[in-house]
Amino acid sequence: MARFIAKRVALGLVTLWLLSVMIFLLAQVLPGDVARRILGPFADQSAVDALNEELGTDRSLITQYLDWIGGFVTGDMGESLAFRRPVEDVLGPALVNSAKLALVAFIIVVPLAILGGVYAALKEARPADRLISVGGLSATAIPEFVWAVVLILVFALTLDLLPVTAQAPPGAGFFTELKYLLLPALCLVFVLFGYIARMARAGTIESLDADYTRTAIIKGLPRRAVIRRHVLRNSLLPTIAVVATQLGYLIGGLVVIEVIFNYNGIGQALYDALQAKDFPLIQSAVLIVGIVYLVATLLADIAYSVLNPRVRLGAAE
Amino acid sequence: MSIDPQQQPAGAGPGSATVAPAPEISARADEARDARREQFRLLRRSKTFIAGSLILGFWVICAIFGDLIAPDDPFATDPLNDLAAPSGDHWFGTDRLGRDVLSRVIVGAQDILLVAPLATLLATALGTVLGLVTGYFRGAVDDVISRIIDALLALPVVVLGSVAIVALGPSNSTLIIVIGLAFAPVIARTVRAAVLTEREYEYVAAARLRNENTPYILFAEILPNVSGPIMVEFTVRLGYAIFAIATLSFLGLGIQPPAPDWGVQIAEHYGLISGGYWWPVLFPALAVASLVTAVNLMADGISQAFERG
Amino acid sequence: MGRVQKRVDAIRARSTELENHLIDEYRAGTISRREFVARATVVGMSVPLAGFLATACGVDREDVAKVDPPQTQPPEPGGTIRTGILAPAGALDPVTVNNEGALAVLGQSGEYLTWSDSELKLRPRLAESWKPNADGSVWTFKIRQGVKFHDGQDLTAEDVATTIDRLADPDGASNALSVFAGVLSKGKSKAVDPATVEFSLDAPNGNFPYLLSSDNYNAIILPKSYDGDWEKTFVGTGPWKLDNYEQEVSANYVKNPEYWDTSRRPVPDRHEVKFYEQEPALVLAMLGNEVDIVSHYSVSGGKALLTSDDVRTNEYSSSVHRQLHLRTDQEPFTDKRVRQAVALLVNRENLVDGLLDTKSDFGNDSPFAPAYRSTDKSVKQRRRDVEQARQLLADAGKGDGFDVQLDGWNGFEMPDYAQLVQDDVRPAGIRIRLNITDAASYYGEATFGNSRWLDSNMGITEYGHRGVPNVLLGAPLTSKGTWNGAHFKNKRYDQLVADYTAALDLGVQRRIARQIQELLLDETPIIFSYFYFWLSGARPDVSGYETTAMGHIDASQAGLVA
Repeated sequence: MARFIAKRVALGLVTLWLLSVMIFLLAQVLPGDVARRILGPFADQSAVDALNEELGTDRSLITQYLDWIGGFVTGDMGESLAFRRPVEDVLGPALVNSAKLALVAFIIVVPLAILGGVYAALKEARPADRLISVGGLSATAIPEFVWAVVLILVFALTLDLLPVTAQAPPGAGFFTELKYLLLPALCLVFVLFGYIARMARAGTIESLDADYTRTAIIKGLPRRAVIRRHVLRNSLLPTIAVVATQLGYLIGGLVVIEVIFNYNGIGQALYDALQAKDFPLIQSAVLIVGIVYLVATLLADIAYSVLNPRVRLGAAE
Repeated sequence: MSIDPQQQPAGAGPGSATVAPAPEISARADEARDARREQFRLLRRSKTFIAGSLILGFWVICAIFGDLIAPDDPFATDPLNDLAAPSGDHWFGTDRLGRDVLSRVIVGAQDILLVAPLATLLATALGTVLGLVTGYFRGAVDDVISRIIDALLALPVVVLGSVAIVALGPSNSTLIIVIGLAFAPVIARTVRAAVLTEREYEYVAAARLRNENTPYILFAEILPNVSGPIMVEFTVRLGYAIFAIATLSFLGLGIQPPAPDWGVQIAEHYGLISGGYWWPVLFPALAVASLVTAVNLMADGISQAFERG
Repeated sequence: MGRVQKRVDAIRARSTELENHLIDEYRAGTISRREFVARATVVGMSVPLAGFLATACGVDREDVAKVDPPQTQPPEPGGTIRTGILAPAGALDPVTVNNEGALAVLGQSGEYLTWSDSELKLRPRLAESWKPNADGSVWTFKIRQGVKFHDGQDLTAEDVATTIDRLADPDGASNALSVFAGVLSKGKSKAVDPATVEFSLDAPNGNFPYLLSSDNYNAIILPKSYDGDWEKTFVGTGPWKLDNYEQEVSANYVKNPEYWDTSRRPVPDRHEVKFYEQEPALVLAMLGNEVDIVSHYSVSGGKALLTSDDVRTNEYSSSVHRQLHLRTDQEPFTDKRVRQAVALLVNRENLVDGLLDTKSDFGNDSPFAPAYRSTDKSVKQRRRDVEQARQLLADAGKGDGFDVQLDGWNGFEMPDYAQLVQDDVRPAGIRIRLNITDAASYYGEATFGNSRWLDSNMGITEYGHRGVPNVLLGAPLTSKGTWNGAHFKNKRYDQLVADYTAALDLGVQRRIARQIQELLLDETPIIFSYFYFWLSGARPDVSGYETTAMGHIDASQAGLVA
């Protein structure tokens, strides 16, 4: 097991390094010189030249890359060019915000979807199953920005139950923050439910058919206990893999939701940084998202192999 | 970006192999042909596949004959008549420049039905090649290329989109490249997993003994036998591609105004919903949803027909 | 009030007596719809306009709700006022700030020498009075005494001179250099005594005090000991003291009990300024009662606010506009008749009444907005005239039309404007190919040869409000101008602008303005179709707030009415 983890971590580090090179080169492609982007098109050229010199944007690419990556590894992510503050100060709160939203969304959708999927499997081909499967599928087909607008219209503007933005005022308590996060989390629930439920359903159907289930029933175990002990455990397997990959999406891919709900998450921070050609911010944000994603998949793989002895003991890579 | 509503091959976490069944010793070529015929027969009878095809067919007709079907010129502005509610004159109302929403929804199918399949084809082609190579060679080649694929997977599509639109300009070809590159890694994974299984079969060893060169083994021997999962992946990713295009256009990174693309229409009008102007958003949104659903239904049908058990 | 009715009223307000009489006859039922349309076009109304009026005036009048007068009841003291603004972009450094959100923040705790209000009048703030020398090349400002910064230091003339000098320093990367270039150089701002500052200008300038006002939003007065990092302290002399600041979220203020202007001490106890990345989120926040005041919103984005009963809109003329330049040194626009033709094809009525919902003044192809005092309003307003346009094109040898590309970027209402122009020029055979990208691709390096903005044949560029037209007359249109996308090089124009800049007397300014306006109408290097109104909004029970078309929001006198 330890070897397995060590190997995966090592591979992950290589991937991260490749990612850092990739994003560094990609960020160079963005046009316009940096000071001009920061000061805007109407600023005087002398102001632009002065700022460029101050920012050191004319050094060689290799120097700039090594400077940055060396700093990142030792904990110094440099300074955001647009905000003139340490990158940690800008990205730290954004990451925390994204984590909060992801957490709330997860806590709602995962149990709901697993329960839904298992229930649908138990009632396979009956109306309840159709409803959950087709409903889930349709929900995912609707873009999240449409859900956002619909939910805002209904719950915030018409019923006046929830706030229109996701950003609670500073100093707000736990429950207030939760209230603010509810609508965007709901959007995510609609988008994710179908997939997770589907995986849970497929896994449950498969394990309901499996030999060990039949054996357990023959042995005289009540159906409910069988489900709890064997079926659930095995239907969780593919679900975990799915949930982990969604984590990457939830942390880095939520630009649209964050924009509509005016939420200062890492997706929006990255989007703004791209517009401003704010290298340090772009590069660090992408690396952080990459780290989260790889850690999530590593944890998923570990959980998967813990739950499924066949993978651990059987055919290795 | 949204997520995959379809199954991944059972047991496949990122980077781990499927549990391989015992290799069979048999003449696979004839069996494969019969299986293929059976699969197509099942497909034709699958209700989900038919439903999906009908909806898709409707939009294809709109895309091809849109200029004839549309009641008004989708680009004709009439600012004094903007944001008119649905009525006899304009069944779907008018948008913020007075253009007929119905016409724009119909003609809006053109761009997306052009870009999405092409992007998905590109992704599938790239992904298939990468999957074949990494799955077959394994070892160092697999390690290196897989790491690059992993890194690409971790790269947010927003970044790819922003860079591409700036480097290549806002056009349909740019979008095709962005989405092709963004989806290729996932397809490569799936193909790789399938190839890992296939390469253990006898026919591959037999081909090697015959001294066939590697490209032949990859494309003439292995590829036909993994075409099932590849087709499933294609249809699944097609749904995502439609979604991704709408989202990128919404963020201003995809098709630019004044094109009647559905994502652009939603982006231009979603801020107006709170004023009661629901029609310029609802109809394009329904269009996107119906197209994605259609493709998903078809993908469902295909996966049921081609991936038994 | 119904939008349609508002439009009709606005159209009637600027129609001739003959046209109005015709409309009355139609409404009274004396003539049929077909007759109305026929006679309307005979007397000079455009067909689409006549059609619109025919439909609008033919239906039963919607209930005409009275237009809400501005809330004038005095507000209750105390409490918290919440304002929503667009999020500041970039660092909050008074020297480099260049966007609406950030300047609004600067103006809360910071203060200017003068305040340029919504009617473009200058009100004294940290400057008590100011006067020029005989030819306007030296301006002397009397600095108010007894004013304290939030950290306790006293305000002196030294602080003022240092602040302005810092902004005029070419090595200082200041955003204000675009205002001071050619006007005020480094080292020319001097404190002659603790209460007086003298500015020695590069050339006589009759509008100089505006360049030190809140219009030059970088010019909040800072202590002479200031050495950077404004974001940590928000230091200034203003009525609001910073309580806490959370980047990307909000800046919250408490009232400054020692504020120097006893007649303007803050009415509320707290001012919470909340940031919104995009306008739709800001609109939603207003509707969802998350804020009491919206400092600025656009017509197209804020339709929900315009029609809502929960929002009282405050509107006034401004000089915000878009410049549609036509490159004069390259085909197809080398011949001024072709440029005039395009200007005559643009349908300004559609833009003002349709795109901007009547919330706009007409532009007459020069920077002289109707809002400016020096504008000569007697110059005839250019209107759409397809026939004349066709004739001019034929005279210039382009009777069959031509193809041309129009560049722009995907912000505000500009893509809409571009497409409307594309439609407008079709009847003359001109085929415009649109190339709308993102801002960075459009502006490029912002230097000639490296920028679509400055190199394109046709381009649309957004310009914000300015209290006086000096900057607009200069950089976009003078021979050496750095914003001159039209590549317009006209010696007489350059001379007129120099004369205008030096003129101290308003009457003289107007006379020169008339000449400039007529010259530009003739040459038409840039089409100015509209100057739209500045819109802000608040809950109906909120009174006392003030905004400027730069983006400032003064909530110090605001509060809820009992």
